[in-house]
Amino acid sequence: MSTILQELESQISGLSTSAMKSNVGVVREAGDGVAKIEGLSDVMLNELIEFPGGLYGLALNLEETEVGCVLLGDFTEVKEGTEVKTTGRLLSVPVGKGLLGRVVNTLGEPIDGKGPIVSDTTYPVEKIAPGIIKRKSVSQPVQTGIMAIDAMIPIGRGQRELIIGDRATGKTTVAIDTILNQAQINKANVGNPDFRPIYSIYVGIGQKNSNIARSIAILEKAGAMEYTIIVSASASESATNQYLAPFAGAAMSEWFMDNGMDALIVYDDLSKHAVAYRQVSLVLKRPSGREAYPGDVFYLHSRLLERSARVDEKNGNGSVTALPIIETQAGDVSAYIPTNVISITDGQIYLETDLFYQGIRPAISVGLSVSRVGSAAQIKATKQVAGKIKGDLAQYRELAAFAQFGSDLDAKTKATLDRGQRIVELFKQTQYMPLTIELQVAVLWTMQNGYLDDIAVDKIKDFQNKLMEFFKTRKTDLLAKIINKKAIDDEITAELKSALSDFKSTYK
Amino acid sequence: MKLSKDSRKTAKQLFQASFVDGRLDSQRLLQATSLVIERKPRNYVGILKEIQRQVRLETAKSHVVIDSAINLSSEEMDRVMNDLRSKYGNDLSPELHIKPELLGGLRIQVGSDVYDGSVRGRLANLEKTLAA
Repeated sequence: MSTILQELESQISGLSTSAMKSNVGVVREAGDGVAKIEGLSDVMLNELIEFPGGLYGLALNLEETEVGCVLLGDFTEVKEGTEVKTTGRLLSVPVGKGLLGRVVNTLGEPIDGKGPIVSDTTYPVEKIAPGIIKRKSVSQPVQTGIMAIDAMIPIGRGQRELIIGDRATGKTTVAIDTILNQAQINKANVGNPDFRPIYSIYVGIGQKNSNIARSIAILEKAGAMEYTIIVSASASESATNQYLAPFAGAAMSEWFMDNGMDALIVYDDLSKHAVAYRQVSLVLKRPSGREAYPGDVFYLHSRLLERSARVDEKNGNGSVTALPIIETQAGDVSAYIPTNVISITDGQIYLETDLFYQGIRPAISVGLSVSRVGSAAQIKATKQVAGKIKGDLAQYRELAAFAQFGSDLDAKTKATLDRGQRIVELFKQTQYMPLTIELQVAVLWTMQNGYLDDIAVDKIKDFQNKLMEFFKTRKTDLLAKIINKKAIDDEITAELKSALSDFKSTYK
Repeated sequence: MKLSKDSRKTAKQLFQASFVDGRLDSQRLLQATSLVIERKPRNYVGILKEIQRQVRLETAKSHVVIDSAINLSSEEMDRVMNDLRSKYGNDLSPELHIKPELLGGLRIQVGSDVYDGSVRGRLANLEKTLAA
């Protein structure tokens, strides 16, 4: 009994000295969303600093006598002499499934007017990426639903594939299409115990609010929002919020990875992110380097993209696939930020203005687009029908340039040209209409086996659409077989042959 | 006005030279500043201001501000100061403010460390935890 009494006594005596210790500082200078603070002798790098009125700041510069701090939120009330204090916390955002279907800002606060976020977990915004031991190689596909990408530039779960191109070449469309396709696949596989759904996170950085609203409307219309989180730091928000938004999105996607799920994150776009970071750095008076970007702009993007990974069973058994977007100026991929991000990512999808205006949409430049890890992640059926397409198209482009001058062509050259033209036609695809992988396999099989050779080039699209309709309405069991076996065997080949002869006899 | 790199460096050197055994020596500091005033190097006003700022920051480190709801007797004051001296060293300069709005208890600031044992501080903390 006496021991309990003593314990209680010691607890009570511990309570009585509960004067709270904190570390304070005084604002000396404020402006442009940055405050210089004197004092704060115990502050840590990246620590949250509390301002009066519920405003928080982030300590980014620790100098000899001052602390440079960026403000998260309305900074107009901060004045010289304002007393601030350290919190001992890092900036963190709510994570979890409660965020799905929601639109949030950089701090994870809802901005869609649908009430508070239900979440009991938070993740720090800045986190070190998983190390070598925790990782697993990329071997499962992320199907974008865009035939040109799935066939030639496949993306795997845990990969980082850059989408790069000039303004208005369809970069965001590629990303939105991919998100739509994930939702489509997730819905089709509800109740399938072996299926691993992919949850999408779309991070809009420095975008026009109208653009984000349009993307949300498309996702809502297609019913994809229930698998999607939108993190928005639009052009009207502070540079600080734009700089932190992708890290907040990465934290949200990491929760899925740590809990045995797969996530896809789109950073739209990292050029504007670099610009926002440049602004923050310059007002913090950090030395500037090339194009006035600070020296650590490479590390800014590398540490962000390194957080996409596929981890093994012991460390979460999930993955984060990243689709960063970079906007080039007049097709210049050798500018500073594009080269940085190209070297960080595992490949890029290059979209060209010329192709876009020739009507080849998505305007994917086959020669300049690569996927460095993707082919390991393709299903066997796609490999069987699409293995040679990239080479065929490259040959076609080379010959097409020469064929413009001469009229006499030998039979082999003509065959290559004809095949190439038909592939280009097949890869044209309407936006926001992702195709299932089995349908892509069926269409590509048709092309590879010469069923398109006697169709005029301008009729290819019509033929393809009718053929897909035919497969979707009359041959659903065949499509199911392709997706279940994930490969084309003799039985499927025979069925495809009979289906095509059926279809061709009725097509006109 | 922004201080040039050179002036800042000079100010810092003079300030650092005024330390004896790790403590700021007022005699040496005065000597240094009067020398600056006498010789009038380029932008000497800026240098002096920078030294002043450094001194302000340095003295703030050992400056103790005690906010109390009621006036403290000299014994109470000694007790508080002895406690603080055991933590922060001997050369502390205390300053007492009577602030009835604290309702009760003390709020002590040493440099940038704040120990808030006041009733007002606890109420504010309670408010925050309840609101969250």
